[in-house]
Amino acid sequence: MEENIIRIRDVKKIYQMGSESIRAIDGVSLNIRQGEVCCLFGKSGSGKSTLLNLIAGLEKPTEGKILFHKKHIERMDEDQLANFRRQYVGFVFQSYNLLPTLTALENVTLPLIFKGVPVKERNERAMEMLKAVGLEERAKHKPFEMSGGQQQRVSIARAFVNEPPVVFADEPTGNLDTKTTYEMMDLITGMAKKNHQTLVIVTHDLELAEYADRIVVLQDGKIEKIQKKLRGKGEGIYE
Amino acid sequence: MNTRDMIDMALRNLLKRKIRTILTILGVVIGTASIVVMVSIGIGMNKGFAQQLESWGSLQVINVYPSGGMVYDEASDSMKQEKKQDELNTKAVDTFRQMEHVEAVSPVIEEYMYLTAGKYVADASIMGIEPGAMEALGYKVEEGRALSAEDSKAIVVGGGVEFYDPKLSWEMRYTSEPPQVDVLNEKISITYDWNYGTRNADKSIKPIKVDAVGKLSAEGSDSWRVIMPIKELEKLQKARQEWEQKKYGSNNSSNRNQSKEYQQVLVKVDEMDNVQSVQQQIKDLGFRASSLTDELEAMKETTKMLRLVLGAIGAVSMVVAAISITNTMVMAIYERTKEIGIMKVIGASLKDIKGLFLTEAAFIGFSGGVIGIVVSFGISFIVNLVAARQGSTMQSAIPLWLALGGVVFATGVGILSGYLPAKRAMKLSALTAIKTE
Repeated sequence: MEENIIRIRDVKKIYQMGSESIRAIDGVSLNIRQGEVCCLFGKSGSGKSTLLNLIAGLEKPTEGKILFHKKHIERMDEDQLANFRRQYVGFVFQSYNLLPTLTALENVTLPLIFKGVPVKERNERAMEMLKAVGLEERAKHKPFEMSGGQQQRVSIARAFVNEPPVVFADEPTGNLDTKTTYEMMDLITGMAKKNHQTLVIVTHDLELAEYADRIVVLQDGKIEKIQKKLRGKGEGIYE
Repeated sequence: MNTRDMIDMALRNLLKRKIRTILTILGVVIGTASIVVMVSIGIGMNKGFAQQLESWGSLQVINVYPSGGMVYDEASDSMKQEKKQDELNTKAVDTFRQMEHVEAVSPVIEEYMYLTAGKYVADASIMGIEPGAMEALGYKVEEGRALSAEDSKAIVVGGGVEFYDPKLSWEMRYTSEPPQVDVLNEKISITYDWNYGTRNADKSIKPIKVDAVGKLSAEGSDSWRVIMPIKELEKLQKARQEWEQKKYGSNNSSNRNQSKEYQQVLVKVDEMDNVQSVQQQIKDLGFRASSLTDELEAMKETTKMLRLVLGAIGAVSMVVAAISITNTMVMAIYERTKEIGIMKVIGASLKDIKGLFLTEAAFIGFSGGVIGIVVSFGISFIVNLVAARQGSTMQSAIPLWLALGGVVFATGVGILSGYLPAKRAMKLSALTAIKTE
């Protein structure tokens, strides 16, 4: 049994829209284990993205606790959160979110720059990552010179370059075609498994959910059910 | 994030928007140049005063007079007898010599006598000083040399001293062309016989032979003076008193020097900036003291307002430049909201974000400052060129402190202008920033 890296306890997120209050997350408790691929699955408006933002410290819960190991994410201030993300977290977004003025290599080095890694070392590490995602000959290209799939590969390289214990992926293949989607999912889960990193994927696509060890199905801000994968990938047998 | 990366990234961001960056820097260039040029004209003005006063005498020399004269009393609006304090004697001279910043001290006595050269005579106001202090006291010797400590029967003659033929009538003396006397090579003597060279000459007065070793400039206040060692002049003074006593009886002689109090003492100070403080110390001892720096201070005071106005004109353009830096940075933040958000999400600390924008603003200020100083030197050069051609006394001077200060100031203005935008960038929510498309 793996250790729980993230523990979520009775978390609520309520948005106040005028006189109406919207319960985006309504009492969620969940453990995420070290090294697992966990999928937050649900329809649009189910609260899956909000939950990811809460875990990543991009938003604060209205109520409840979120622990990363023994640290309370919900109690951290801006500086502590920046430090937390720099040390422990990698992100992959639906819209890639690369810096348009930087080359692929520079985009990948960015987390290392913020960490203060010396030039030579960070360039080597970033180049290795680009090789791992198969883009080493694109190192000097700017994002607009690359296809969507290539841009997403760069963003995956950026998320993993720092070897963070947790990688969050928010609809990582939303903008990609089916073939690229599978390539990307193989890449991302393969990398996480190889280094025993925890991967939290948000998606509304059941096909993607198949890559996960566990699927957390959300509806109306609540966990509807949790499905555990029993056998190998593609067989689609869940508890 | 280390400093090098921060500078590197800031420069990249600036270069990405070249035209906007250049225009903003141009604003700072104009601001810096206008302040520096305006201040330089103010400084040039003071320098001009100092040069003008220099031609009247050394600015580092304080004239000390005994107290006890008549002074104007403000309270009663009338002249009053000043309270007599200390005697201006050799003891006082020694006290001055001990003071900090004092380089040379010389008591001064003055006598009106005559120089003779062959058959010609010149009226001379002879000033006796310590011969060793002559050079330090700022006398400008044009030919020959100044007196030195070893000199005794030596003199330095002012360039304006004119000889005449004593046999001529008064009228003729002033209308006829003065004879050319090369004092440095003629045999010169000093006498107190005002009938020398005429039929009425007093044979009992023996002229004292002296060696003219140098000649002062023909311009300025010392041009008509003859300078000689004070000891020799005192001997002459005594000889004349004895002669007068013999001739006119004991009480008729002038006895102004009998008390052994000097009428004037010159004090040379090491630097112009220390003159006022030394002068005050001397005043505190109970003497009267004045120097040309008094005039300089008065001139500076009268032009202070003008210099303030000049500085303020320059400051206005700097304020405009500062606003344009702020504007540029605010625009940059709007454009880069998403970028800032991404950086935050992948681990940039608040300090990094703030530092990035401050570095950009500082760089705009710094480069504007440096170019501004270069431009200022150019303008300053042209101002001086035009002023010299038109014979105007206006001039512009940029000392090192002003050049360095200008760059530091411009950089400071940049940082200050960037502060608010940087803070704004820091406060952007990472989540809303990355959601912005």
